[in-house]
Amino acid sequence: MPSTPGSSVESPLESRLQGLLHELGARLRRGGLPLEEAPRLATGLESLDALLGGGFPRGRLCEIAGPASSGRTALALALLARATRAGAEAAWVDAADAFDPPSAVAAGAALERVLWVRAPRPAAALRSAERLLESRGFPLVVLDLAPGAAPPPALPPVAWTRLSRAAAGAEGTLVLLADARLAGPAAALALELRPLRARFTGPPALLQGLDTEAALVRRRAGAPPGRAVALRLEAPPAA
Amino acid sequence: MRVACLLVPDLPLVAERRARPELAGRPLAIAAGPGPRAELLAVSPEAARARVSTHQSVAQARAVCAALEVRVASPALERATRDALLDAALSVAPRAELAPRGTGAWLAEARVFADATGVAALHRSETGFAAALAARARALALPAAVAVAGSRGAATLAARHLAAEIPARLRAEGGAVRVLSAAEEQAFLASLSVDLLDPDDALAEALLRFGIRRVGELTRLPRAALATRLGPSVLPLLALAHGEPDALPIAAPREGRLEEALDLEWAVDRLEPLAFVLRGLLARLLARLAARRLACGELDLVLGLAGGGRDVRRIGVAAPSLDPRGLLGLLRLSLEARPPTAPVEHAALATEGRPLRPGQLDLFRAAGLAPDALGRLLAELALLCGEGRVGTPAVADDWRPGAFLLRPFEAPPAPEAAAPAATGGPAVLALRALRPPLSAEVRSLHGRPERLRSAVANGHVLRAAGPWRTSGAWWSREERFAYDHYDVQTSDGSVVRLRHDLLHDAWEVDAIYD
Repeated sequence: MPSTPGSSVESPLESRLQGLLHELGARLRRGGLPLEEAPRLATGLESLDALLGGGFPRGRLCEIAGPASSGRTALALALLARATRAGAEAAWVDAADAFDPPSAVAAGAALERVLWVRAPRPAAALRSAERLLESRGFPLVVLDLAPGAAPPPALPPVAWTRLSRAAAGAEGTLVLLADARLAGPAAALALELRPLRARFTGPPALLQGLDTEAALVRRRAGAPPGRAVALRLEAPPAA
Repeated sequence: MRVACLLVPDLPLVAERRARPELAGRPLAIAAGPGPRAELLAVSPEAARARVSTHQSVAQARAVCAALEVRVASPALERATRDALLDAALSVAPRAELAPRGTGAWLAEARVFADATGVAALHRSETGFAAALAARARALALPAAVAVAGSRGAATLAARHLAAEIPARLRAEGGAVRVLSAAEEQAFLASLSVDLLDPDDALAEALLRFGIRRVGELTRLPRAALATRLGPSVLPLLALAHGEPDALPIAAPREGRLEEALDLEWAVDRLEPLAFVLRGLLARLLARLAARRLACGELDLVLGLAGGGRDVRRIGVAAPSLDPRGLLGLLRLSLEARPPTAPVEHAALATEGRPLRPGQLDLFRAAGLAPDALGRLLAELALLCGEGRVGTPAVADDWRPGAFLLRPFEAPPAPEAAAPAATGGPAVLALRALRPPLSAEVRSLHGRPERLRSAVANGHVLRAAGPWRTSGAWWSREERFAYDHYDVQTSDGSVVRLRHDLLHDAWEVDAIYD
């Protein structure tokens, strides 16, 4: 029970309640039915799937955030490859116009099942993603808002609530790629990626891959967040 | 060979009523052009009962019938109606062809020949086949007379006779069908008027002078003597009168393009009335496609604009469809995205007929998007993002850096079995393309980058791999390119793909490893 502005002395019940709230912290939830574990869309990366409890949940908005060269795109492409190889259609809504078809092929994606939406503005990207989810034809929608050279888009918080609801209604997985977390509490799951090092071989020097770290920073259901795993990204063999 | 002839005697009238069904039952006349002095080409039975006749001027006709509706003849509409008659024939017969246009008194008729050889087994009798043809024509709002005979000529004469005997109203209600067996053909033809043979004016006058009124009177005369006196133009008439068999078989139908068009009486400058016009065009187009058991593929919309301009657009359809609502929605979205620049005076809608894609639903997999819903979704996305920005990506067979393809998205059928997906392996390093590439300031030592400053990566170059050279299009001053590419890691942690434009001595970052 919150104390009224006029009351200066807390009752014993209030102080115990405050203590409990402080102790439970992030594990405290609103009343109601316990959240059900949603079916998962696996990435095919064992350590990451174990961290996520089987993969990205269906019917939820999930975030992958991280700076350039942290492996956000590689992770999203791994998810895209798994979905399309399983025969599902997937959409890549690209506000950054950064999708690289050869990289998607190298990751194993079946491009004929991918719908690439090159949105000219972030607002158009959000509306496109919402419309794709509403159509219920795309079990995976990747919304790429990670800016290339442009500053991060200023988007209203209500946009993420709408997208989260659209994903829940469509039972599709919406994966948001960004430099930093954007969706806040609307995201059911959030991963933050951090580049560790680039691996070069040689001489002659050749980029072999990137080592990054993925930390689970938000998870609405299941085990609490806070753990991290190392990811190893390998450069595709030269054609 | 047995041939069926589908004949619509008053094409301009039928074409107008097919496009504007609300004119049914009202006195209607088709004029050769605009204005009160234009000559009437065809009149409806309702107008004829009010003493309106062909060859009157519009002003004269209005003087005797104030309620007369007058429309200007539309070649586009007549062409579409003739094609629709061919579609009706092809919905029943394996082979059908359009007959050449008639002349003289038969200028306003439309004829289609259909191969009727061996059809009795399928339709119980030739009469059943002819009735089926008439019914299909009626379904496309074409009241046709159908005659079956041993040759194109004999079938034409029988159909003309039938059309003259049976009024349009009865043809529209129950059809008019006549089948001539080989035994009765000669006797039937002999009883017909020679006018049905379509002689030219000079020949008709000569026949009249000779006292020849019936076909039988003509066929009794010796061919050589007639040719000597009347000239060689009488020989085709004699062949027709004798019902001589045709030298050429009826051609197989071409896989064709179906088109519906309409000339508007007033230019339309708003979307709603234009959508109303397009709905009619689409309905007629879909009816023709359905008759041929085809579905609508990509739509080509051509709008004739006031002032002589043209607006041509192609509207992609995700999968062949016969859903008028969905297709009209696509047309509307296209027009909303890019409205015509001037009022519209003429509209034509065309498509290539495609077979409907058979689909089998999977018991254990969610059904994908319905083709029409997918088409609408793609159109909405194109409206949001712009033309050419929505589709399926593909790797271009091109050495040009950053080349890619964007094809129309067509959801492929679900695979028989899901492809095995690799698990446990490392993820594959991906590139994020920068379109267009970002210019960069590079300090180089012996040609290799040492320090980089750009909007995405800054600092000392810690490691660099390369260069790899790409060059091409040397024959074109505008398109030629030559780059040295490097993979570099800068001190701020970014790993980017850097390129040195050798033609312009400029540095650019064209992708980020991510």
